[in-house]
Amino acid sequence: MTIAAPPLSVGTRMLVLARLLTLQGSYNYETMIGNGIAFAIEPALRLLPGGRGGEAYCAALARQSRYFNAHPYLAAVAVGALARAELSLENLERIERFRTAACGPLGSVGDRLVWAAWLPLCSLIALLTFGLGASPFMVVAVFLGTYNVGHLALRIWGLNVGWSDGLAVAPALSTPLFRRGPLMLTRVAAVVGGVAIPLALARSAGASPLGVFIIGGVGAAGAVMLGLTQGRVQGWRVSLALLIVAGVAAMVLR
Amino acid sequence: MPIECFRVDDRLVHGQVVVGWGQSLRLGFIVLVDDTVAANDWECELYSMGTPPEMTLFVETTDSVVLRLPEFDARADAGMLLTADIPTMGRLVQSAPRIRAVNIGGVHHRIGRTWRLPYVFLSPEDDAALAAIASCGVRVTAQDLPGADEVPLEALLSGGPA
Repeated sequence: MTIAAPPLSVGTRMLVLARLLTLQGSYNYETMIGNGIAFAIEPALRLLPGGRGGEAYCAALARQSRYFNAHPYLAAVAVGALARAELSLENLERIERFRTAACGPLGSVGDRLVWAAWLPLCSLIALLTFGLGASPFMVVAVFLGTYNVGHLALRIWGLNVGWSDGLAVAPALSTPLFRRGPLMLTRVAAVVGGVAIPLALARSAGASPLGVFIIGGVGAAGAVMLGLTQGRVQGWRVSLALLIVAGVAAMVLR
Repeated sequence: MPIECFRVDDRLVHGQVVVGWGQSLRLGFIVLVDDTVAANDWECELYSMGTPPEMTLFVETTDSVVLRLPEFDARADAGMLLTADIPTMGRLVQSAPRIRAVNIGGVHHRIGRTWRLPYVFLSPEDDAALAAIASCGVRVTAQDLPGADEVPLEALLSGGPA
């Protein structure tokens, strides 16, 4: 039998939110971010009957430490929903099913929105800032600022919506931001990239036509190579090869 | 266009599937085969929210999917079929001889399972189920993402690649 969950104080919410920022530190191949989920939800579990160290608290903490794998930012939705479910004394089988079923969709939505859309867009905005003549410090600050505004907003929204909707949180994922957002952000990124790349190229090469030709040629060749090898070569290998080429070129041209 | 990939992945619809494989294979639809998910509306809704709007999700039971495989194979777009566990895929292989290759994309840790790859942990029962699938002439490999190396079944069963 479920009961009404006790209210979650602002202090507890802040503590849970702060702990959510450490989620990726718990990553391991056996439980993935399961331990991080338990660490984040722990302040809320203190409200269970018996309090901290009680039987219900220990059982819930052990339950939440098991395998869990989702996008680290959208895992906030699961933490909020699971906190409400635990404090409502929800049916344990239903909690287990939710933990199993939430992994995939929260991973899918997060990967599409953040890794495939928001992160590239923020990188291109930083590149645009460079192209417009900003200092290196400003370029880094713009990137970190824009990226973290999005990521923190996503975690705060996730925790709140998870807590308010509990295990019935699926409709919250149907918002236009998640359904159409990735496509829209990708289109915006394409526009920003179209403006940023020529500006960055012009700033890098200065007034030298040869410099423009070399940098533009290397960039175009890299783009063609990425297109041809998409899905067959791991990104870190391509990045490492490009870094080595750039390093050698810098030493030779110096 | 036939279903391009038959995958065992306990996360079912997730980022590697819709972003990694989805872009590489240009997937237009996903067939999720799981009797428990198919019986729960809220789980179906959750998985449909995780599917990009440009892809269609079909949630089927182990029995219903066998009847609908010809329909899926006749579609104009590419598809992927997902099961959460090896025994379910084994039953499909027995019922649908047209399955010639199975991809192990994610079988994660539980008590009784041992490490084979970072994304594959297998129990002795899982080993036997995979061997049974292979004995039907099906090519079984492990590969989490399109850009990763394929790991053959022999390496999985012998405790993981050296």
